[in-house]
Amino acid sequence: MARQSKEPIKRPIVWIVFIAVFALINPWYFTDGAYTPLIWGVPYWAWIILAASLALSVFVTWVVCCHWDMQTDEQDGGGD
Amino acid sequence: MELAFGGAAGIIVLVAYGVLMLAVGLITYLRNRNILESLDEYYLGGRGLGVMVLFFTFFATQYSGNTVVGYPPTAYRIGYQYLVSVPFFICIIAAYLFFAPRLYALGRRFSLLTPVDWIDIRFKSKAVTILAATLMLYALGNYLLEQFVAIGQGVSGLTGGTIPYQVGVVFFIVIMVAYSWLGGMRSVAYTDTIQGIALLFGVFMLLIGSLIYFGGPAASAEVMRVQTPEKLGAPDAAGVAHWFSLLLLVGIGAAVYPHAVQRIFSARSEATLKRSFIRMAYMPFITAGVVFFVGIIGIAAFPDLTTAESEQLVGRIANALASRSLVFYWAMVLLFGGVIAAIVSTADSVLLTFSSIVSNDLYGRYIHPEASEQRKILVGKLIGLVAVVVLVIIAWYPPSTLYQIFVLKFELLIQAAPALILGLYWSRLNSRALFAGMLAGAVLAAAMTFAGWRPLGVFSGLWGLLLNLVICIGASLVMGVDREEHERAVEVIGTY
Repeated sequence: MARQSKEPIKRPIVWIVFIAVFALINPWYFTDGAYTPLIWGVPYWAWIILAASLALSVFVTWVVCCHWDMQTDEQDGGGD
Repeated sequence: MELAFGGAAGIIVLVAYGVLMLAVGLITYLRNRNILESLDEYYLGGRGLGVMVLFFTFFATQYSGNTVVGYPPTAYRIGYQYLVSVPFFICIIAAYLFFAPRLYALGRRFSLLTPVDWIDIRFKSKAVTILAATLMLYALGNYLLEQFVAIGQGVSGLTGGTIPYQVGVVFFIVIMVAYSWLGGMRSVAYTDTIQGIALLFGVFMLLIGSLIYFGGPAASAEVMRVQTPEKLGAPDAAGVAHWFSLLLLVGIGAAVYPHAVQRIFSARSEATLKRSFIRMAYMPFITAGVVFFVGIIGIAAFPDLTTAESEQLVGRIANALASRSLVFYWAMVLLFGGVIAAIVSTADSVLLTFSSIVSNDLYGRYIHPEASEQRKILVGKLIGLVAVVVLVIIAWYPPSTLYQIFVLKFELLIQAAPALILGLYWSRLNSRALFAGMLAGAVLAAAMTFAGWRPLGVFSGLWGLLLNLVICIGASLVMGVDREEHERAVEVIGTY
């Protein structure tokens, strides 16, 4: 039997995780003007934003791997 | 940007680079003789781009010379608040996830060639198709103009003025047009691969050199702590609002770059497209992230630059590094080759997409539908060439008045987003409402740009898009959609 096709936009979990990660990449949750502690000369909040950005990249990987399968390749008999 | 070392070394690198690009075009042409007989072959590389080439053509198209030359000065001036440039490039890829899967599948099903092609199949409305094509062509033309000016400035900067601005522009445009004409999307994508590698090499050498000779972020943090602590601190409410609207604008904007959409259609398979996206999701760290830190390091290396002086930051760093050792001398020459490569690689993609919309969507659909594919390609090439000549004349004599006409890009392009994306999912979208929204949005965005009016600090393109959405969704809900139109929409999009 054919697999179900998967489309990210139809999956509530994709939206929920995206909104959560999107919230984290916006620096609204830090105190205005705060920058200590500095780690290797980089303010703590910048590290957190970088970590959240990495989470967004991991989100992209996760969605592509687990929630995107339109079965186009099967229809073409192709793929690589 | 002036480089003291420019001169002969710069000329050698630029000429070698030009010859290499031409060779790629020629080899592509010789290996794919049928390239000029089919629109699919010419504009989409036969829909056969593999993971690496697809990835690099996405990469080189997205990151322009401006990323390397323009971002460090901004980081220098506003400090860590410009770290937004890293998530903003990832947001582009995240935004693709919400429409690319379906668009790719439909692209295969209907053999779509351009984004306008999709809009035409979905709405079957001459008014919508022509308006969308016009907005895209206008925006692409201005985008191309911007790249031409950047090429001229880059070349004259790299060679310390030995090659004048105009000669640089003409030299690279002739090379670019030649390899694009020879190999279409394939040679654009292959040269993008070389250009992408040159760019990556250059920015890494810039970072390594800066770290070795100017000290790391800690030295800059000390300077900022004493002089400008606001550059270290987390943003205030206004800063957060700016950050948020930038991410949103870029996220939505990603959808509407026609040359990016065309790359989705070029993928060999869904698997190829998916793997390229995964790689692209991590590139911002080693591109935007690296140039961001170069700007931060510049704060300690060259303190107290004025705004105008800081625009030359990358040139200053490169000059300083080049004078320290022979390795960095050549690395910096290659960096500037890479910067120009990055500009050319953005320009070639834009030009190819411009020609494809003329060939396929205007000439091939409305003017001469019976023309052979070869003839359609020829018309696209010639009109593309005419556009290039006109733009070169404008780049030659940059206008001092009506300047805004030439900066309108994104503001207009984004007005095609509802047709492109909403049309993928909503079968009740009324084509007349869509037309009215797109037109109103474009007029409002253009008027606000002319007036320099930016309420709440939000970009004029987003205000236009808001009006556009209110009209197209509101009017679609009020007027409904006639049965025939709805049935056709369901037939086109309803199978997923």
